[in-house]
Amino acid sequence: MSKYEYAIAQTIDDAVRLLNEPGKRNVVLAGGTDIFVALRVNPLWFDRLVDVGRVPEMRQIREDAGLVSIGAAVNFTQAVESPILQKRAPFLVEACKTIGGPAIRNCGTFGGNVANAAACADSLPALVCLETVAHLRSAKGERRIRVEELVTAPHETQIEPGELITHFTFAVPPQDARSCFIKIGRRKAQSISRLSIAVIGNLDRNGKIETVRICPGAAVATPVRFRNVEQMLTGQKPSKELFASAGDQLVAEMIKSTGQRWSTPYKEVALKAIAERALSNIFLQDGSLC
Amino acid sequence: MTEYQYIGKPAQRVDALEKVMGKAKYVGDMTLPGMLYGRTLRSDLPHARIKKLDVSPALKVPGVVAVITSEDFTDHGVFGFPISDLYMLAYEKVRYVGEGIATVAAETPEAAIEGVKAIVCELEPLPVLLDMDHALDPDAPQVGPTRSDGKHPNFLGHYPVYKGNPEELLKECDVVVDQRYETVMQEHAYIETEGGLAIPTAEGGVVVYLSCQSPFIPRGHICRVLSLPEGKVRVIVPPVGGSFGGKDDLNYQTGGQVAALALKTGRPVRITFSREESILASYKRGAMRMHIRLGADKDGTLRACQFKSTYDSGAYSSQSPFTSWRASIHAMGAYRYDACTVDINTVYTNQGYAGAYRGFGNTEVCSGIEQAIDEMAEALNMDPIDFRLKNCLRVGDVTPHGQKLTESVGLTDCLLAVRKMSDWDRKRKEFAAQSATDKRRGIGVAALFHGTSLGAEGIDEATGTIEIHDDNLVTLTSGLTDYGTGSRTVYTLIAAEVLGIDPGRIRIHRPDTNTAIDSGPTVASRATMLGGNATKVAALNLLQILDWAAADLLHCDLHQLHRVGEKYVGPSEEPVPWEAVVEHAREMGLVLSAHGKWSAPKIQWDEEHGTGVPYFAYHFGAQVAEVVVDLKTGATDVVGFWAVHDSGKVIFPQGAYGQLYGGISHGLGYALYEDLDFQDGYPQSINFDQYLIPTSVDMPEIQAGFVEALYSQGPYGAKNIAEPAMVPTAPTILNAIANATGRRIRKLPANLERVMLGRVLNKKGSPVSCKVALKIS
Amino acid sequence: MLIKFTLNNQPVAVEAPPDITLLALLRDYLKLTGTKEACEVGECGACSVLLDGNLVNSCLIAAPSVMGREVVTIEGIHDADGGPNDMQRNFISYGAVQCGYCIPGMVVAGEALLSKNPHPTREEIRVALAGNLCRCTGYMQIVDAIEATASERAKKSQ
Repeated sequence: MSKYEYAIAQTIDDAVRLLNEPGKRNVVLAGGTDIFVALRVNPLWFDRLVDVGRVPEMRQIREDAGLVSIGAAVNFTQAVESPILQKRAPFLVEACKTIGGPAIRNCGTFGGNVANAAACADSLPALVCLETVAHLRSAKGERRIRVEELVTAPHETQIEPGELITHFTFAVPPQDARSCFIKIGRRKAQSISRLSIAVIGNLDRNGKIETVRICPGAAVATPVRFRNVEQMLTGQKPSKELFASAGDQLVAEMIKSTGQRWSTPYKEVALKAIAERALSNIFLQDGSLC
Repeated sequence: MTEYQYIGKPAQRVDALEKVMGKAKYVGDMTLPGMLYGRTLRSDLPHARIKKLDVSPALKVPGVVAVITSEDFTDHGVFGFPISDLYMLAYEKVRYVGEGIATVAAETPEAAIEGVKAIVCELEPLPVLLDMDHALDPDAPQVGPTRSDGKHPNFLGHYPVYKGNPEELLKECDVVVDQRYETVMQEHAYIETEGGLAIPTAEGGVVVYLSCQSPFIPRGHICRVLSLPEGKVRVIVPPVGGSFGGKDDLNYQTGGQVAALALKTGRPVRITFSREESILASYKRGAMRMHIRLGADKDGTLRACQFKSTYDSGAYSSQSPFTSWRASIHAMGAYRYDACTVDINTVYTNQGYAGAYRGFGNTEVCSGIEQAIDEMAEALNMDPIDFRLKNCLRVGDVTPHGQKLTESVGLTDCLLAVRKMSDWDRKRKEFAAQSATDKRRGIGVAALFHGTSLGAEGIDEATGTIEIHDDNLVTLTSGLTDYGTGSRTVYTLIAAEVLGIDPGRIRIHRPDTNTAIDSGPTVASRATMLGGNATKVAALNLLQILDWAAADLLHCDLHQLHRVGEKYVGPSEEPVPWEAVVEHAREMGLVLSAHGKWSAPKIQWDEEHGTGVPYFAYHFGAQVAEVVVDLKTGATDVVGFWAVHDSGKVIFPQGAYGQLYGGISHGLGYALYEDLDFQDGYPQSINFDQYLIPTSVDMPEIQAGFVEALYSQGPYGAKNIAEPAMVPTAPTILNAIANATGRRIRKLPANLERVMLGRVLNKKGSPVSCKVALKIS
Repeated sequence: MLIKFTLNNQPVAVEAPPDITLLALLRDYLKLTGTKEACEVGECGACSVLLDGNLVNSCLIAAPSVMGREVVTIEGIHDADGGPNDMQRNFISYGAVQCGYCIPGMVVAGEALLSKNPHPTREEIRVALAGNLCRCTGYMQIVDAIEATASERAKKSQ
């Protein structure tokens, strides 16, 4: 007797239909890199896996009319090798390179990373910085929601039962935008993020910061932008001192959100350091760090 | 220098082909018709009385065929050496999280898990002893067995080395280093988990395939706990997927469990551990807390060492008496002292349990003493290599144990070679002058000595056999296991060298208690010396027979014979091939097989006075690490690594280098992140996603070399390599970090938080993942 | 359910339950034990296989999801005569093998790398092996063996 069933979806409609078949707890299977791990330490929480890994539209990275679209079943190797992402969102590519080892990157998907919603999920900070929108389909139709809002708590999202993330979109960043992703792990590969940060921004004609978006990973419960810090930086001339105080404010906001934890003495130093490095890298150097 | 044909020459590992093809069958790869799957109910409490254990509900689970408990064994299955305190399955009490209580055999692995879940086991929690520093408090919870000698039941042993009075001498020294160092538990992390397969025999006995190090030990245990004569229990060691000291006691339990279940059901029974079960149930490298005081004169002469430590054996004694003893012998490092005392007290707690792991006590103490030596060099404003060179042991020195070293002491040469190889002097200077950026470079050194084989722990001998078969295939047997170390290849090369034949003619059997001869345990990096010498003696015995036949065939005296390649040449006639000599020997009626036994030189140790000759020879070595430390993230990148070791003669170079590289990888993990953290008795990492070992990108390119200070009693002058390879690695890296940052990490591992902050951050633990894993995976 | 796919260049059809992984399908149903089980959470790479030419951890692949796809295991990697191929021979001659338990996965990972990047640097080889844990070798001789294979293949193809 099997503990659960398996169904394969050929199209998005097919997947939505399968996910909404009554009488069963259906769960989306994409890369499997989270589900099979969770199965070892959790009681079974589904009756059937609906495999969306072969739905063609969900496996594409496209750029169209200023919008980049990443299928939810696109894996991280695809992302790393994608000329579109290399050009439009190099920090997202860098983040994907740090996920697992080659075999994990060959399977793990954006949809899975977002839906699993771990605080340390490595693709999320860059997606949040890009103001990425998740496109969800259900029997009721399509809805769109920003990744930043979709993830509500560690391992919790606004995804309803029977709902499927089909793809993600983000607006192509300005030509002169620079981005950076820095991750601290306990080991140099196959390592969960101890802390990370994604930053993207550009300078105006006068050399002042025109826009900047900052999202740390594994710092607070979910990957969110630190808008107060962004505001503080906007319109300013980049300098070491500015970035040091941005780092301080980032840390203060992190502590405001999490309170003092066992790891705070570590994270307050490390977060400031990687924030300063990322900001300096983007605005004071050539952006080659990441 | 003697020229050898095969010794020290490039060679191929004898069992590599089956492994690269995926054809090697490890225990978990074996299935037999009618085979049952075993699964063990394990304790989810660190200390408890077994109040009720009712296995009958499990027997009602579909597919479950049998269940065993301690009641199924003679004397409840008590075993263990040197102290018998372990049981095949827990009896009356459980003392650590993960301890086996009952084992189910079922038609499928799933049914076995259901069976385990159905067992009614009521555990009454007992007070838990977590802190080794409080183990001997009068009111400490009793973990160890009640003793009749009035000593504390949690006291396991005291291990001293005494020479002079350092307490007094320290007062006279110009410079004193007084520091505390701490190590934590390390998981072996062999990639193959534990497992065993038992097959009942028609005569009421059992054949057990067991992934283990020393087949004769589990045979003895199984005989005793199942009341079977030796003739009815046969243990065969299939390919072992790594061990590093880790597949002894725990997997002897597995052997006993599968054997009992096979006899009970009359069917083959196999147990294969999941990773979570492996980490939960198995013993670790034990944690040690050290207090070291060193004294030296201004001119850099080391004079006094006082070493005091507590070693946490956890719930059972396992190998801790021996580990602690080896630790005591090596605690002061490879240096001369006017006065030196070592006192190690070993205690029981409920933090898992400790047993053998590569380096066996020396790894722990070396991480302390080699940091203290560095701190002394710093205090004296001396270069760490110069300081070591000035004080390290040389031929003619008397060790603090009172042993005069008469030969094979290559430490000076190792230090000089590694200094040159690593470009030490230039880097040391350059790094001292580096600008104060967030990323700092550092370079550090550590040295070691490591006693060969068992030392005064016990009888130290081995026997090998050799035989020429009808098809001229030469076979060897050894009672010692090659669990990845390469010893089978070493024996093959030795036999080939002695007989003057191509190693391709030789096959070596796997250890099998029915065909091999008990040669003691495969531990203590003793396989090359003990098994190698035994093989050499066996081959020499066989060679005599062949030489005799050759002389007869070539009508000459023995002394007139010589060899050209494999061929035998006499004074007048044409050279004859080796096969012709073998054939002639057969015609002469000679028996073409031989035994060879080798006993280690006699040594002795006075346990009470802490003096004697603990080992008959020592391995020496020195390692250098170069690191880049990010002060703001605490990340340490080991960017370069150099190692030069004196293993005596290197017989199988690829194997010896492989041992060295692999040992360094264990040491790098131990230095930087490996910490099997027990919180309230619960391990906080139970799979490879949490327990991190170095990956290919974490390991630097390593440059290694050997100094061959030959040892006259070793086979071709060989000593040992497996354990010593890892012993100095952690302090090497810690010393490099200190050089980079100016700050010492005295508690292992030097993880992100400690490197950045210079102190330990304590995370509150949780029992949840252990409890869930014990039920599901 | 009946799972049909191509295994080591041969079509296979195997009746198996839907709730198992590819690793279990290979080891328990097809009796191909060269693919090893060691962590079952995708952390060690002992169960590495090629799926449509890509390196994957078979412990994280739903068995039915290989339907219609191509799987190559260590049993499918060999020379034309069934003996070791050049990579496997180099693993032997460079001393890359100790206990051997990670080795099938390492060979598979090495082949996956060279199929995509025939001229990798040592650093690239290390990155390609980062998901395959070895506790015996410190990886040095494994990297040596793959590096040597790449350069031999490059010479041969010239």
